[in-house]
Amino acid sequence: MAAIEVQGLHKRYKATVAVEDVSLTVEDGEIYGVLGRNGAGKSTTVEAVAGLRRPDRGRIRVFGLDPRRDRRRLRQVLGVQLQDAALHSALTVTELVRLYRSFYRDGADPDELIDRVGLAERRRTRFERLSGGEQQRLNIALALAGRPRAVILDELTTGLDPEARRQMWATVEELRDGGVTVVLVSHHMEEVERLCDRVALIERGRVAAVDTPDGLVARAGLEQVVRFRTAAPFDPAVLDRVPEVRSVGTEDGLVTATGGGNLLHAVSTALVRADVTALDTRFERATLEDAFLALTGSPFDRSGR
Amino acid sequence: MTTADTLPARRPGPRAWLALIAAEARMVARDTAGLVIPLGLPLLILVMNGLGTADTAVVDGVNVFERYVLPLVLVIVIATVGVVNMPSFLAYYRKAHLLRRLAVTPAHPGMILTAQLAVSAAQSAVGVALGVGAAMTLFGVGLPARPWTALGVFALAALAMYAIGMLVAALAPTGNAAAAIGLVLFFALGATGGMFGSTDSLPRPLAAVGEALPFGAAVQAVGRAWSGLPQEPGHLIALAVAVLVSSALAVRCFRWE
Repeated sequence: MAAIEVQGLHKRYKATVAVEDVSLTVEDGEIYGVLGRNGAGKSTTVEAVAGLRRPDRGRIRVFGLDPRRDRRRLRQVLGVQLQDAALHSALTVTELVRLYRSFYRDGADPDELIDRVGLAERRRTRFERLSGGEQQRLNIALALAGRPRAVILDELTTGLDPEARRQMWATVEELRDGGVTVVLVSHHMEEVERLCDRVALIERGRVAAVDTPDGLVARAGLEQVVRFRTAAPFDPAVLDRVPEVRSVGTEDGLVTATGGGNLLHAVSTALVRADVTALDTRFERATLEDAFLALTGSPFDRSGR
Repeated sequence: MTTADTLPARRPGPRAWLALIAAEARMVARDTAGLVIPLGLPLLILVMNGLGTADTAVVDGVNVFERYVLPLVLVIVIATVGVVNMPSFLAYYRKAHLLRRLAVTPAHPGMILTAQLAVSAAQSAVGVALGVGAAMTLFGVGLPARPWTALGVFALAALAMYAIGMLVAALAPTGNAAAAIGLVLFFALGATGGMFGSTDSLPRPLAAVGEALPFGAAVQAVGRAWSGLPQEPGHLIALAVAVLVSSALAVRCFRWE
């Protein structure tokens, strides 16, 4: 059985359709990315999974539970970190973790939890005096207070500086290593590419594609490029018989080979066989962002939250 | 892997309630500015009035201090806590999505409303104890002539103020808006209810309206109980109507998000 199953989810707010038709399956123990533009329907989808929104149509199960009917059981197995939700601002880290822990019969040890998210030094600091990264780490700790089997992390690293972001990534990887299923809502490409086992691309309320980050890049069919210079004049015929290479060009001594598959390896091997010494070798392949563009047919908007 | 539908469907226990009440108490206690008004202002008014009315203490056999000043001070305590402070916390909790955050835990966001009410009641009790204590030690005021009536009437008045506060919390979009609406209401009710001097100096129709509003009605009803005068049904009806109308509207209008 999957950890989370969504089938045919549809949700509209008055005249606006937020989610047209979303189906996805999150396996137990994976980090599942939900990637899309602002307004694509990501948050509405996870809010429906968390039982905060009533779907107009569709079926949702979280470890076999209906999020609306089995609310109370759901809360014990699903931890949620919401996008920009505040906490009691005048309470300290320890006070907040103890408070949220008290809502559950079984749960994590508050002090261990604080250590685990790296806030041991800030135990006695009030929420309002924590940095953005520290507040987010506290949010993760609170989502874990009931020792859930799955957590939803919505826009976890938005607004964090690169160092804080990297720390958060390490924390999320530790979660998976501890057996917790993670649903990561994001529009940060590098984050999704680095962390997620599988990614659902949500576009205009529909699932455009589901695959591993590498799979999405491959699926987009974008070409890879190898560029190099050679000490001696280069004969392009050397690469003619390499199946991965689609085209070769030479300009001012710079050779450009494009193609697919394991292009870099194939080109390097062919050059070694032909006894050609390549200098300044550069490899370019499409990123998840390029794949996103190719798969959804429009540019990705980085401007939003 | 197993399904989760065999889990017991548990509600948060007494430990969660205590933790939430403690959290609200800390929020209120650490909001220093919010403590000055309900605890400091009434004491100041008590002392200033006490010094001013010392030589005209008894008029027509009624102790002015017991009949007007102390009741006014006690009503200011419950009005500032109930109408100004409590709604600003609750509106902030909604605006900042704290209620929503709580909705994804086993705790119902309604628990926070209850906890805030309990803490507001405790804060009022402290204000009342300070006021009555100061009145007794500094100005020789005695216990109410009709203690049970005084207690009952005061509890009804507190309920009215909290109900108005809940209505403000239901209608105000932000914490700041709630504080502003609450303050305007507090001063409007207070001005027509005798906060800035006897209602005798107000135009008669305005004074009549003031006495039918919860602040003025509360001052009158508590003052009569303290001085041993019989209750006037109009004041009690005014308070009961304020409780019923405000809480009904608050329940209707309240939004969790």
